[in-house]
Amino acid sequence: MRRSQLISGTPGAPGIAVGPAWRYRAATPAPAPAAGAGRGDGKPGKKPSAKDAVAAIQAAVAAAGAQLESLASSLKAAGRADEAGIFEAQALMASDPGLLDAALALARGGEAAEAAVRAATETAASTIAALPDGLLASRAADVRDVGARIVRILAGEDVAPPERPSIAIADDLPPSVAAAIPPGLLLGIAQESGTTTSHVVILARALGIPAVVGATGLVEAATDAMTLAIDGESGTVAVDPDLPQLANLAGRAKHLESRRQAAAALRVRPAATSDGHRIVLLANIGGPDEAPRALQAGAEGIGLLRTEFLYMKRQSAPSEDDQVEPYRRVLAAFGPDRPVVIRLADIGGDKALPYLDLPVEANPAMGVRAIRLGATHSDLLAAQFRAIWRAAGLAGVVPRVMAPMVATLADVELLRELRDEARAAVAASGEPLPEQMITGVMIEIPSAAIMAAQIARRVDFFSIGTNDLTQYTLAADRSNPALAHLQDALHPAVLRLVAGVVEGAAGAGIPVAVCGELAGDPAGALVLAGLGVTELSADAGCLDDIRAALAGVTKSQLDDLGRRALAAAGATAVRAMAGDLLRPGRGSGRA
Amino acid sequence: MMTARVKVSNPSGLHARPAATLVKAAAAFHSQITIENLTSGSAPANAKSLLAVLGCGISCGHRIRIVVDGEDEVAALASLKSLARGGFGERVDQ
Repeated sequence: MRRSQLISGTPGAPGIAVGPAWRYRAATPAPAPAAGAGRGDGKPGKKPSAKDAVAAIQAAVAAAGAQLESLASSLKAAGRADEAGIFEAQALMASDPGLLDAALALARGGEAAEAAVRAATETAASTIAALPDGLLASRAADVRDVGARIVRILAGEDVAPPERPSIAIADDLPPSVAAAIPPGLLLGIAQESGTTTSHVVILARALGIPAVVGATGLVEAATDAMTLAIDGESGTVAVDPDLPQLANLAGRAKHLESRRQAAAALRVRPAATSDGHRIVLLANIGGPDEAPRALQAGAEGIGLLRTEFLYMKRQSAPSEDDQVEPYRRVLAAFGPDRPVVIRLADIGGDKALPYLDLPVEANPAMGVRAIRLGATHSDLLAAQFRAIWRAAGLAGVVPRVMAPMVATLADVELLRELRDEARAAVAASGEPLPEQMITGVMIEIPSAAIMAAQIARRVDFFSIGTNDLTQYTLAADRSNPALAHLQDALHPAVLRLVAGVVEGAAGAGIPVAVCGELAGDPAGALVLAGLGVTELSADAGCLDDIRAALAGVTKSQLDDLGRRALAAAGATAVRAMAGDLLRPGRGSGRA
Repeated sequence: MMTARVKVSNPSGLHARPAATLVKAAAAFHSQITIENLTSGSAPANAKSLLAVLGCGISCGHRIRIVVDGEDEVAALASLKSLARGGFGERVDQ
């Protein structure tokens, strides 16, 4: 019997998988014969002419581009936007004018089509691989993937998927190959190259399968293996594991799976602590296409519908009519019982648009953006308000709207005026529309947090944006990586502002939600709930973990955590306190 | 011919997605458009080629120069400048 062997790599995507190995080999037969075959075989009658090679390359490049575009659009339709982005970029690479020119020049010089494509892509890939920026350099894998695809098309080859559920092993598994394997046949991915930011890792996470990258020596050790066991949390690959190893892994896999199932099973019930304190869990979405995913994840509504998608990537401002249908779709998907909070467009500032004639600002994060455009570009916000009134009328729901970047009470009054004027305009047209609009503000500027008690009397709800609130409170530009250590929203300075907002809101009897990234982090969710926040809104993918974290604690534990967090010296200390509460909650089955 | 200098503030620089946004925008104009990385001193690259743009190695905080030359250069430069200010279509807030 073969001896088992353990290979260490880097954890890519979590989970455990055991199964046969499926070895992926790139469709690159040694470059030399292809180049030689075209030139010196002395059979001019069978030798493809340069003209044929040029035509073949043009056709293959077009086919590769079309394949990649269709892959991107089907992933997009399935709600897998991150992966779709990978293949959109690859489609552009396939139709890259520089790449095509280089390959065609080689073909005209007598190179065979495949060799010409391989040489041209390798030149482009190695330029990118040599870049000092690691993230950019890792895109060389995409260039090679595109080149291999064009070569496969030229050679009439296709990668045959595994015949039974398997673990893919490779030097570097191309994302296009991984994505093309039918669901269920790919149990996990282990490869020699790659880092945690590799596209194949993003894919594995999206597919919910484990991945180990950077596993040196893997291919040689595993090619003839009967069984592989990969552990995406420790980053190890066991080649032909022995029985005790298998038993150990099976136990852990069972534990992970039951934890996952337990979290998913909680979706049918509203989120609550173990002693029944309710927290409303909502999802953040960026457009109507993301609504189904939020519903599947058990979101009780939408805490943040970003509307920038209507304003970006266009040469003129969206009209009122352009906006009605997208809003109506989301409102109708959630119906009258599940709230949808529409955030007015956060544009301007660092998100300048061609049709917004605004001067360049030295400090756009603190510039003229969002509600601040109300003074100079009130037509933009007025059109958005009218569209929301009309969409709500069509969907038969009471709309909820909030304004970003509110700093003062004057901003609140402007918001109310715009809202009421828009209603009057729609009412005059005779279209159906609801009686009222539930109107809130985002608390993301320290002045608004400090003035929360006064502002609360003029609005219906608060939603705290912890990302901006952190950036403004700690005076740390969130786009500056050198200040990343100051970007932790668990800093007690931010938490004290949150506590003040909760207190101010309580005085006026209005609810407080959090829709920043902190709400999507289980540690952050516990701290926020401990400070009295009653609604958390996060990416749909985070909701299971938050629900499980809340179910593992009691209300008094949360209150105690909130009190201690406010008195802590820094974010690290707060994170440790929340971590202590998360761990025992997870392992409640243990003694 | 017109030129503009811009600072790239996307947290991960001009990685695949924002670079693709730039390339698609550039491809919509007839003008010849090149881009160079002033911080690293790269050679001018065709802004309509994703590989060429990626090859400039533009990281967060790098300064770039955009050069446009052609009949629609005014519109092209205005469009690319505002795209750059808007983070090349990349959402940088929450």
